[in-house]
Amino acid sequence: MKEKFKFTFNLALLVIWAVLFAGIAVKAPGFLSYNYIVNVMLRNIVEIGMVALPMTLIIITGGIDLSVGNTMVLAAMLGGMAAAKASDIAGVLVTLLTGAVCGLLNGVLIAKAKISAMVTTLASMFLYLGMARGVSHGDSVYSYTFSEYMGTMSFLGIPLQIWLYVLLALCFTVLLKKTAFGRKLYSIGLNPHATKYAGVNTEKILVIIYVLCGMICALVAFIFLGRFTSVKYDAGTNFNLKVITVVVLGGTSINGGIGDMKGTIIGTLIIATLNSGLTVLNIPIDVQTIVQGAVLIIALISYAVVNNRARKKRIIKVEAPDALS
Amino acid sequence: MGKKKGFLTTEFYLAVFLAAILLFMAVAAREFYSINNLMSLLNSFSYILISAIGMNLIILTSNIDVSAGALISVVCLSIAALGKQGIPFAGLMAAAMVIGAVLSTLNGLFITRLKIPAIVATLATTQIFQGVLPLTVDGSIYDLPASFTWLAFDAKIFGIVPASVLICLIVTVAALLFVKYSRFARKLYAIGNNSNGARLSGIRVDRTVVWTYTIAGALFGISAVIIATAGQRVTTTMGSGLEMTFIAAVVLGGTNTAGGSGKILGTVIGAFILAMIAPAINYLGISPDWSDAVKGAIILISVVVGAAKYIKKKRVIDDPAARERSAA
Amino acid sequence: MKKRNLLQKMVVGTLAGAMLAVSFTGCSKTESGGASKTESAASAAPETGSSTSEAKPAASSGDITVAMLPKFKGENYFDACKTGAQEAADELGITLLYDGPSQDQATNQKQVDILEGWIAQGVNVIIVSPNDPTAIAPTLQKAQGAGIKVVTFDADAQADSRDMFVNQISADAAAKGLLDAAAQDLKAKGYGDDKTANIALVSGSGTDANQTAWENAIDELLATDEYKFMIIQNKETDVYYPGTDETKVNSECATLIGRLGEGEDKIQAAIALSSMSTPALGAQYQSASSKPDANVISMTGLATPNALKTYIKDEENPLTSGVLWNCMDLGYLAVQTAYQLANGTITPDAASIDAGRLGTKEITNQECVLGDALIFDASNVDEFNY
Repeated sequence: MKEKFKFTFNLALLVIWAVLFAGIAVKAPGFLSYNYIVNVMLRNIVEIGMVALPMTLIIITGGIDLSVGNTMVLAAMLGGMAAAKASDIAGVLVTLLTGAVCGLLNGVLIAKAKISAMVTTLASMFLYLGMARGVSHGDSVYSYTFSEYMGTMSFLGIPLQIWLYVLLALCFTVLLKKTAFGRKLYSIGLNPHATKYAGVNTEKILVIIYVLCGMICALVAFIFLGRFTSVKYDAGTNFNLKVITVVVLGGTSINGGIGDMKGTIIGTLIIATLNSGLTVLNIPIDVQTIVQGAVLIIALISYAVVNNRARKKRIIKVEAPDALS
Repeated sequence: MGKKKGFLTTEFYLAVFLAAILLFMAVAAREFYSINNLMSLLNSFSYILISAIGMNLIILTSNIDVSAGALISVVCLSIAALGKQGIPFAGLMAAAMVIGAVLSTLNGLFITRLKIPAIVATLATTQIFQGVLPLTVDGSIYDLPASFTWLAFDAKIFGIVPASVLICLIVTVAALLFVKYSRFARKLYAIGNNSNGARLSGIRVDRTVVWTYTIAGALFGISAVIIATAGQRVTTTMGSGLEMTFIAAVVLGGTNTAGGSGKILGTVIGAFILAMIAPAINYLGISPDWSDAVKGAIILISVVVGAAKYIKKKRVIDDPAARERSAA
Repeated sequence: MKKRNLLQKMVVGTLAGAMLAVSFTGCSKTESGGASKTESAASAAPETGSSTSEAKPAASSGDITVAMLPKFKGENYFDACKTGAQEAADELGITLLYDGPSQDQATNQKQVDILEGWIAQGVNVIIVSPNDPTAIAPTLQKAQGAGIKVVTFDADAQADSRDMFVNQISADAAAKGLLDAAAQDLKAKGYGDDKTANIALVSGSGTDANQTAWENAIDELLATDEYKFMIIQNKETDVYYPGTDETKVNSECATLIGRLGEGEDKIQAAIALSSMSTPALGAQYQSASSKPDANVISMTGLATPNALKTYIKDEENPLTSGVLWNCMDLGYLAVQTAYQLANGTITPDAASIDAGRLGTKEITNQECVLGDALIFDASNVDEFNY
């Protein structure tokens, strides 16, 4: 039964997406070109979409990571500086290392010190932002060969980062859906204590997913730096909220335990279509923000309705059969 | 009750820490204690604290409001439009509180009626607040009359202390008394600790939460007045990003974001520490580029210290992360 | 319970409807709460009311669409530029699109996002004031590759990524204007070669091409005999980079005001390099509790006259003069240049341009300079309306 309801929610999302896509395509013929859809719409969303993947895992465990944008910027920045001083290889290593360390710090504090995820990542958000500002003195850090390659190369006519995204999306879908690891995540989200007493090393799993998230942020850092050719310390502002918007739009419950990767992927597509579509329609940036907020609210409400009904059905099945209809 | 004692020490540690910084500044950079610097520090402390108190009440119920910054922007612009007409300060203050309360009540209704988790609901309203502003006013509102900037330019107690400090003092004392003696505040703690339990024991949880948002909104409105009247121009982004500072002040003060515990006094100290970081760093001759990093490090360290105590006390049975989930 | 569900469904329905209405009717001015009261204030700005989004590409002279991208929206300076740009667009009968990031998100990414939309639409000319000159270059080159002319105004981008730069003022002239304004005031207050003055600068974001150029030009001028009595003691702490966020600018200016006063360890003159920080200096002085003695300090900076009017006219405020160029003319010249580049009247190599009401302006090295700095004080501040 639960399966069925989830299916309808994803389907509803797909319909919303299709309507938006069609509507925009009708209003603005410039939108419906291969070049625009692939090289602008999809290419622009890749960073958010990629980070949304590990973020989904984190949110399913009942956690959250507010520091993603700043982790990304810090990784890009230190990497760029290392590349400028030493070599590209140093840049790559430093970027990946920074991402991993940032994620590890979050993970250890959340899993071992038992500080709530929101507080930890709020504090580390300031810390990473501040470090990026401090080491760069507010200046831009510029792209280097490897990140340029990641941000601008195409393979078979499709930008490299889209291939990467597709690959990662597949991996994460399988990870969450088909592996024991994925099931443990749901279990932690629904009841961490029961999971722990069932013999699952919850602490280790939490640390792993936060480090994973940091690593993906580092990967995204290359793409971001390559695409924009430079990065400034405040480039990650609001990035965290955008990523969370995508995940929540995809039907993952912020309370943990509920959600899937398909939803996140469709959520990514919806935001991509809105972002690029509204720009093509010449709708000012301010209205775009409102529309995004409205879409999020609609998704939340429809999810609340569906979820409410599903829950009611499970709980009051016997006494109140009429709630089914 | 044992828990209560534990939190008293959190505030104690914080106060000691604050005193240490103040002492250090007295030795390392005497200039920090110039009247002007202290007063401008107190001014920013005022608006951070007033909003942080509102945020604290919300967090006590185990909810959160990330739209506070955007909401303040909306209020700033609204009262600037009124101020342009020459409406005096009292009118502006009343309007700000009403607008703030109404918008925040909307947040509360969203959260309780539709059962949307607070962080997501306010995330959505943030985007709407942010988007509406530039639509209604093209650019900024400037060249505001003297009646608008009265609070910042002329209203000085004994000719020195900005009146915003007085407002802040009133709000703080009221909040301290309110949290200590009112039954409403007790309900907040009950809801934050166990909202189902609170409901079963006869507390109207949803209604209480909505009222909490309303009160917090009015407080955000007061902060908005202090922020907006600082100059003769009000732009559309006056409050952006401030919500994180408010939340940080609350967290630094030892309030658990899982709800149900924490004191206003801690928030007062937390807000003061956050308000003084930027000027202190400047007076120490360090580039302001490092102020955010210092801010983050201080929050992180204080939270870790707090958690370390907590873990020692209560192993296994009750960890905050779990409580957060069960409360949500 | 059943009723509740129905209610929820209705809410969903209404919201969905509202959202579709918003997204497909374009931008019908959203009325909301107290915000609608700002209408009167908006009209106080010199704005004709033709919002950009309403201006659908219509069949007009040559069907030329010019898209203009400021560093950020919502501040007097760029508003004035927009007014001038709109004036030129109306005069020439072309379509002007105007959009930009909000003030707190004045970053290169946001600008690139907007540009990509315009490139996809195939506008004819893009006029841009980049937040980061190097970072925006690849996107501008992409636009050029798509046959779009690129004009920079207010701040330049990398030279190989634009066809023309409409410069309001040369860096030397701007630096000289600012230092002259400060020096004049300082000398009147008794400073000079035998009594040096410490100065502090309030810059913008740190990556801005103009401010960087002005800072460098100021450094060079400070080394010359004429200005050597003005000294920047410590570059780390005496040059502020508050960015473009109003609240942050205010608080950093307040810190600076606290450091003003007489003596070696104090600062005697504050010069603001952005149109946001200058009024902030004035406001923060006004609200300071124990005001530093106005007879020993001086403040000046770049800003629109409207933003400084009150402070300049207040005799007790040490902010006695402001420096600027004519912003409306800048917007006007930018659109004129854009139009003439698009219809082929001029090429990037042209030596001059006949810019409508501004007359003929010279072009050297693909750079068209508007004019000299304009120093305004209490005597003439009322003559301006932007």
